[in-house]
Amino acid sequence: MSTEVKTKEKVDMDPKYIIKLTVTLFVTCVIVAALLGLVDNVTRDKIAAINWENTVAAMKAVVADPDATTFSDALEDIEAPAAAAAAAGATLDSVYEVQAGGASAGYAIKVVASGSQGNIEMMVGVDGEGAVTGVSIVKNSETAGIGSKVMENQNGVLDQFVGKSAADGTLVVGSNVDAITGATVSSKGVTAGVNAALAAAGAIG
Amino acid sequence: MNLKKQFMDGLLYQNPVLVQVLGMCSTMAITTSFFNGLGMGVAVLIILTLSNVIISLIRKIVPDKIRIAMFIVVIAGFVTMVDLLIQAFLPALATSLGVFIPLIVVNCIILGRAEAFSYKNGVAASFFDGIFQGIGYTLVLLAMCIIREFLGAGTFGGGLLGPGGKGITILPSQFPIGMMTLPVGGFLVLGALIALMQWALNRPKKNKEESK
Repeated sequence: MSTEVKTKEKVDMDPKYIIKLTVTLFVTCVIVAALLGLVDNVTRDKIAAINWENTVAAMKAVVADPDATTFSDALEDIEAPAAAAAAAGATLDSVYEVQAGGASAGYAIKVVASGSQGNIEMMVGVDGEGAVTGVSIVKNSETAGIGSKVMENQNGVLDQFVGKSAADGTLVVGSNVDAITGATVSSKGVTAGVNAALAAAGAIG
Repeated sequence: MNLKKQFMDGLLYQNPVLVQVLGMCSTMAITTSFFNGLGMGVAVLIILTLSNVIISLIRKIVPDKIRIAMFIVVIAGFVTMVDLLIQAFLPALATSLGVFIPLIVVNCIILGRAEAFSYKNGVAASFFDGIFQGIGYTLVLLAMCIIREFLGAGTFGGGLLGPGGKGITILPSQFPIGMMTLPVGGFLVLGALIALMQWALNRPKKNKEESK
């Protein structure tokens, strides 16, 4: 092919040509960036609304009384809980205050734990006494048919965390947490997420 | 411009997946349910057509030395737009395709067609090339989805039809082979499809040669 031969020749160092290349690429990038800005402007609010809806749905799944509960916006100062969560083996994403009847009733804590096929984003509800009220999976890419059993709460594997608190000590698969056969890594990931959420809740209160 | 030839090329003789063997990553990863295949196929079709048209339009002013960089900027721009639009208007699709939408940027079908076709051909021809190659890609994805979903989960139309969008159950749940929804199943099905395609494409040729 002729183009392949061309590229093997000495690069043409004519400054005018280099400037032409730079300007063409620069102008293209500016145009594309402007168009992207336009699309972002149209879709941003809508995406934010959908994300918030999903977050609320995930939070409602982990509190004791979903119908009588409202949620605050994500708390802003989460440095200490984030450090506590990291020490417990998962990344803290965000913390929302759970309000029942106008009073604080614990926290909904979103953490990111690592599973067998990537990250597991999960929501953990923790009540005022520091006990887990529920665990739900927001997003995962665990193996269909194996790790997905954990994600789908088969045999109540996610329900077993309800009622656990920091007083139970670190949760460990095999001693105080039951895993799904064949999905040990996914089970461990979820357990690390719950540990991190409990640690984070402890660091807030 | 030869529409009929372009159409047959896109679907059969130059099928992006089965003959050019492009875009393998997405083909393996997302063909586990019908809805995924359809969504991915249509997303690629739209992006491919748009980028083909734009690249064909600007092909005369793009300096040869930076054409790949220009292609990527154009493609990445369209992919990001489509990604945002899907997130805003088809959230269910965005959830199930996840990272594979942004990864369309590096889907080599699009860069491949930019380099091989739209950089050398007119706007209308490039437009139809995008449509036909996109259809060719979508059809293969759908075929793989249907086979893998049937063998791996025992359902048809997952994500779209049936109770709770889980697909219409055809096989009772003890029969499906879970492995078929894993990447290994994707390789097996794709290998079988490529072999079938090569056999089908070579058959008439052989007959002609023999009859000579």
